[in-house]
Amino acid sequence: MSFTGFLLTQCLNALSQASLLFFIACGLTLIFGIMRIVNFAHGVIYMLGAYVGYTMLMLSGSFLLSLLLAPIAVGAVGMAFERLFLRRLYGRRDGGAYLMVTFGLAVVLSEVIRLIWGAQPLGASIPDFLRGIVLILNQPFPLYRLFLIALGVGAALLLWQFLERTRAGLLIRAVSQNSEMVHALGTDVDFVRTAVFGLGCAMAAFGGVLAGPLVTAFLGMGTNVVIDAFVIVIIGGMGSFLGSIIGSLLVAFVQVFGSYYFQDLALALMYILMLAVLVVRPGGLLGREE
Amino acid sequence: MPLLECKGLAKRFGALVAVDAVDMAVEQGQIRAVIGPNGAGKSTLFNLITRVLQPSSGRVLFAGEDLAGLPVHAVAQRGIARTFQLCHVFPNLTARENVRIAAQAREDGRWRFLGGGGVLGRSGTVADAALERLRLTRFAGTLAGMMSHGDQRLLEVAMALAQQPRLLMLDEPTQGLSIEETDRAVEILRSMLAEGDLSVILVEHDMEVVFKLAHAITVLHRGRVIADGPPEVVRADAEVQRAYLGESE
Amino acid sequence: MSRRLLLLIGAAVALLLPFAVPQYSLTIIIEALIFGLFAMSLDLMVGYCKLYSFGHAAAYGLGAYSAAMLLKSLALPLPIGIVLAVGITVLIALPIAWVCTRSTGVSFAMLTLAFAQLGFAMLYRFKDWTGGSDGIDGIPRPPGPLGITWFQGKLGYYYLVLFCLVGSYLFCRAIVRSPFGAVLSGIRENEAKTRALGYNTRAYKLATVVLAYGFGGLAGALYAPFAGFASPELFFWLASGRVLIMVIVGGAGTLIGPILGGASFLVLEHELSQITDLWPLIFGSAFIGFILFAPQGIWGLLSARIAGLTPAPARPTAAEAPDAAA
Repeated sequence: MSFTGFLLTQCLNALSQASLLFFIACGLTLIFGIMRIVNFAHGVIYMLGAYVGYTMLMLSGSFLLSLLLAPIAVGAVGMAFERLFLRRLYGRRDGGAYLMVTFGLAVVLSEVIRLIWGAQPLGASIPDFLRGIVLILNQPFPLYRLFLIALGVGAALLLWQFLERTRAGLLIRAVSQNSEMVHALGTDVDFVRTAVFGLGCAMAAFGGVLAGPLVTAFLGMGTNVVIDAFVIVIIGGMGSFLGSIIGSLLVAFVQVFGSYYFQDLALALMYILMLAVLVVRPGGLLGREE
Repeated sequence: MPLLECKGLAKRFGALVAVDAVDMAVEQGQIRAVIGPNGAGKSTLFNLITRVLQPSSGRVLFAGEDLAGLPVHAVAQRGIARTFQLCHVFPNLTARENVRIAAQAREDGRWRFLGGGGVLGRSGTVADAALERLRLTRFAGTLAGMMSHGDQRLLEVAMALAQQPRLLMLDEPTQGLSIEETDRAVEILRSMLAEGDLSVILVEHDMEVVFKLAHAITVLHRGRVIADGPPEVVRADAEVQRAYLGESE
Repeated sequence: MSRRLLLLIGAAVALLLPFAVPQYSLTIIIEALIFGLFAMSLDLMVGYCKLYSFGHAAAYGLGAYSAAMLLKSLALPLPIGIVLAVGITVLIALPIAWVCTRSTGVSFAMLTLAFAQLGFAMLYRFKDWTGGSDGIDGIPRPPGPLGITWFQGKLGYYYLVLFCLVGSYLFCRAIVRSPFGAVLSGIRENEAKTRALGYNTRAYKLATVVLAYGFGGLAGALYAPFAGFASPELFFWLASGRVLIMVIVGGAGTLIGPILGGASFLVLEHELSQITDLWPLIFGSAFIGFILFAPQGIWGLLSARIAGLTPAPARPTAAEAPDAAA
């Protein structure tokens, strides 16, 4: 393989990886923007998406259907959790409570998944119509990954337009900036929060369904992903949508090229990156000062 | 040599200039009041002096030493104690413990893990004295969070005193206090100053308090010093009247 | 009933327990005590300093693996092996603590998790040393210096663990009541104010984390030769989760709460896991319940009801009650 061929393949790999990361990270950052909490359970939500998607695939035989329904189902779970549990914490000054509750959710969900689906990794595979190789500039590249890239770009554009152009998007941005003011203007801020939390979870689940055939769903997949997502949100700025896109790209490229060139350091790479960013800019590159 | 000197101190937040080329000096044993309308930059100035914020330019000299690059706790160690605009106490600890921890900061033995009885005893004595001074002794065993707002502010002053500072910086100490409490606070401050080797910078909105206590006044408006001098001079300054005194009261 | 009498009864029970229970129960009890120690170590961080850690399993794992490697390859006397394992854990904890205390809140928690994950990954990477996913087994309990052997058997080991637990508790209690401990409560209540008083709060937090790792490492180092093996699961995030839950449910900031909570949890887990597979789920749900409705934990609730039950070292001034027992 020529060098340009290699470069192209790796770039495309990074882009597809960035897509997956974006789905999770943007949910995390949206939730942070609107609720000022980091949803530690986000990784497990992603995992739940993978498992639910797999089951729906088995039941319906249609990958696209599971891709549509699983996020809705998981989003609903998220909304229920917010409504029932997180909402009770709004009065508290203690930031630790949120951290603990979302952590508790991660543990509970993890167990529920284990109980329902068992401890063995799932054998999800790429649906037939998305299998196969595509030739780009004479380099073979898996069709599925291209599909991921397309979805990632599409979702990013859609969400961007949603946030910028629609009334609902405006409302979300307003609540992120100054929820009291919006509340005084008569909007049901609580509902907005619940909805956004659900949306964030749905996005993570969407990523999970897509990741299922690639990484083979297993019980530990949530933890590393939440660290990745956290690093992305830190890099891009807590609460910044654009930042989550930039962060996802940055992290994906570091992961893909880093693991190729520095195999030994591959494990530590993410943590070194996180450290470096936290040391330099505790608020992230694009985010608000805490 | 003045105890505290600010030279050309400035702080910019992006396009917003919060503090602009401020020169200010506090002599030993002096009470200097810093006044100005809301948003004039008074609390920012405090934060710059105590190194909670880093200045964009300018210097702060304390007893001749440049405070540049020092972390917040090191500044406090050098003998500067401050209170905060939004009252900061330890709500779930007793009033006495609040003050004792403040007093302990001056002790060398505070790193002692075990025993440490000597430190606890000595700082306890200083704490008791400070509480006595502020007439808060009856609250010694009360949780600070349970005290009234006015008493909490006085507790904060007691904590600052217990640090045995050379420079006391009070950020709106009488805010939210009743007339009675304010009078008490003024009287206590006066007596503290009469005895000790203490200098004070006072941010205040209550003009009566300012004119009762201050030896010198610095007036800030939009981050700049528009007047600086003894109270009678400042009072008569037309620009000050325009910017500030005419608006409040 | 005076406190002294209660203490005496408690001591008698603790000392005579091994003779009153069947052998297999003793194994569980020893593990329960070890876990109680582990939970107490985390309480130093969480309860006294509000440093929420998602990666404390790393302390336990470091202690366990250090002890495993030392005892297996160097055949050191058991107590020496344990002490050295704690030393190694503390040494490794220093840079970890230094990095983590650069941040607060969520970032701190994430960093601790990241280090635990890193440890987990390192175990697989260097599997020649660590045995990879199989871990290390066949860890011996070599006789001590001067030919002491009483801790080689289960009964003796019980007393060893009990001694370590009680000793660690007394040490931690002394720390918490000392001037150092008072600063920790200041940090917990309002860190900015504590800094403004002249305390280098970062240094205090760093010391607390290292202490917590030290005691956590002790628990791990006691575990490895007892169980005879050490495996990567020790570093898994759910292990960190368990102990964190134990601290909160037991009662953060009380030292005793997490010890009792941790010990009871282990016993309960052993009993209930034989009956139902739902045990972790119930437990996780209970955790959420506690955070929402009873954040002071079980021991916190109890001490609110029964005055003087808790050592409550964090609240009243130590100078006021220098000889309050328990």
